[in-house]
Amino acid sequence: MQRFFRGRDSAKKQFIAGSITPLVLYMAFWTLLPLVWGVALAFFDYSPRRAGGFLGFGADNPFVSLQHFQTMLNFAPDAPLEAQQFHIGIKITLLFVALIVPLNLMITLPLALLIESVHDRVKGVFRIIFFLPVLAPSVGVAIMWGFIFNPQWGLLNAVIGKFTGRLVGINWTGDPNLVVWGIPVALFGIVIAYLWQDMGYNLVIFIAALQGIPQAVKDAAKIDGANWGQMLTKIIIPLLMPTILLTAVLTMISAFQVFDIVQVMTEGGPDDQTQVLLLNIYNYAFRYQKMGWAAAVSIVMFLMILSISIVQTRLLRTEWEY
Amino acid sequence: MSAIVRPRPPHQFRLRPAYFLLIPLSLVALVPFIWMVLGSFKSGREIRKIPPTFFPQEFTLENYKRVLNDEDLPLGIFYRNSAIIALANVVQVLFTSSLFGYIFAKFEFKGKKALFWFILSLMMIPHQMTMIPGYLILAKLGLINNLLGLIIPAAIDAFGIFLFRQFALSIPNELIDAARVDGAGEFYIFRRIVLPQLGPALATFGMLTFMFNWNAYLWPLIVLTEKNVRTLPIILTWYSSRMVSNDHLTMAASVLVILPVLFIFLLVQRWIVEGIALSGLKG
Repeated sequence: MQRFFRGRDSAKKQFIAGSITPLVLYMAFWTLLPLVWGVALAFFDYSPRRAGGFLGFGADNPFVSLQHFQTMLNFAPDAPLEAQQFHIGIKITLLFVALIVPLNLMITLPLALLIESVHDRVKGVFRIIFFLPVLAPSVGVAIMWGFIFNPQWGLLNAVIGKFTGRLVGINWTGDPNLVVWGIPVALFGIVIAYLWQDMGYNLVIFIAALQGIPQAVKDAAKIDGANWGQMLTKIIIPLLMPTILLTAVLTMISAFQVFDIVQVMTEGGPDDQTQVLLLNIYNYAFRYQKMGWAAAVSIVMFLMILSISIVQTRLLRTEWEY
Repeated sequence: MSAIVRPRPPHQFRLRPAYFLLIPLSLVALVPFIWMVLGSFKSGREIRKIPPTFFPQEFTLENYKRVLNDEDLPLGIFYRNSAIIALANVVQVLFTSSLFGYIFAKFEFKGKKALFWFILSLMMIPHQMTMIPGYLILAKLGLINNLLGLIIPAAIDAFGIFLFRQFALSIPNELIDAARVDGAGEFYIFRRIVLPQLGPALATFGMLTFMFNWNAYLWPLIVLTEKNVRTLPIILTWYSSRMVSNDHLTMAASVLVILPVLFIFLLVQRWIVEGIALSGLKG
């Protein structure tokens, strides 16, 4: 018997070694190496076009120490263009996140309540309709909204024209002079397209959370004579609080990384007004070939997202009980 | 018999006006799709009309004919590219996630904790952190403009391993030990005993992985710069920027690129919704 188990053990060991060894090697090459490489790039003036030493480092791609990060902190009016565009990128991205998160929650939570309140048979239909854009490629979403915002033959101008009785030719996503409350209108256009696609995620999460509220809790409140408003503010919202926090953080993290819709709809324009951080990184790395600078900006962006993720794990660690 | 009244399901907060809000809102939510589909049936002359028409006045299939016969736009090739990448990634990610999820759940070995924590912490690292060096590695390996460049680096999904570990934890040890006593090999146990137990998770996570790969844009945009290796999302932006004042053609092309697969996703949306609700996963 003992011999049998020893045999089993070696079979187990073989199985583990045979699986974990390739995993470790693979991750060393495809995750650890790029991570280290990415951090190293941030300290070099690196361009793939120029010749360098080992892995392209050194020689024509010199070590510049913390110079990229110092440039980022240069707020002088005559700061290099990349510093100015980096500041715009940070500002626009924060603005975008600050618009998306509250708007998303303000739409999806009431919408989930509405959908949960209708008859079971049609519930699914409404859920699918609002979920549909999630399934579409974001490139398609950007193109579809482009047809609506088109200055000449777009739907939005046509609808406004119908109500005002005038010919309207507003260039929603291309006119740098259109600014409302200090926010470029082009950014609002992106916010609308992004919200339209993104809200399906939170909607289904909220619907699942609403269905998870025990019937007994709701029954008890009803017996105690709670009306609809009290039910909402005293029972439903407090019980949904962990879900609301979680979705807020997830929405924030993904909004930080917005790229597809901006790149397709405006390419960062007009006049860099929608130049979000990831688009900025993409442009510097792959269009201007300033990969060292772009890698440094990536690190800043990563640290911003990491700080949100840390808040997220703190929130998730909290025990919530009904 | 018909006199028996079926008890109505209890509705805790019945909101009659819900329909008056939901129906107009759903129509508004569908407008971008409707506008694109209607536009794809309008003639070039009609699409440029100011003010624009909503319904096509003279319904035409000409746009579809032109898009499908456009030699610069061999849609079949791009469908094939997208399908190869998405399917290959679903297969390999499901295999590695379930295998390593099972191993992390049911086996003890040296360094297991450290390795698992490393994988967990990878979930917090956004993709753009490794985007630039990832490109440089692919360039060194000569995998730029090669579909393999989108497949080989995508074999491991940290979130998938985490998810499948959670599911594998609930598989009873007795089931696995019984198979061992019967003399089954370890890989046989994984394939024949463990995998069937993970069935629903495989379906859910497989659908999500397929959808994310099918719709992916940024990474394919970087890796695939030559036309014939491109995927559908990239070719769609390429086409729309080339057809800048021919919206009727872009609309027809968009319909052909977006709607068929959207319809398939719609058929399996139950699993996708389940996956998102389960994990709070974001694209």
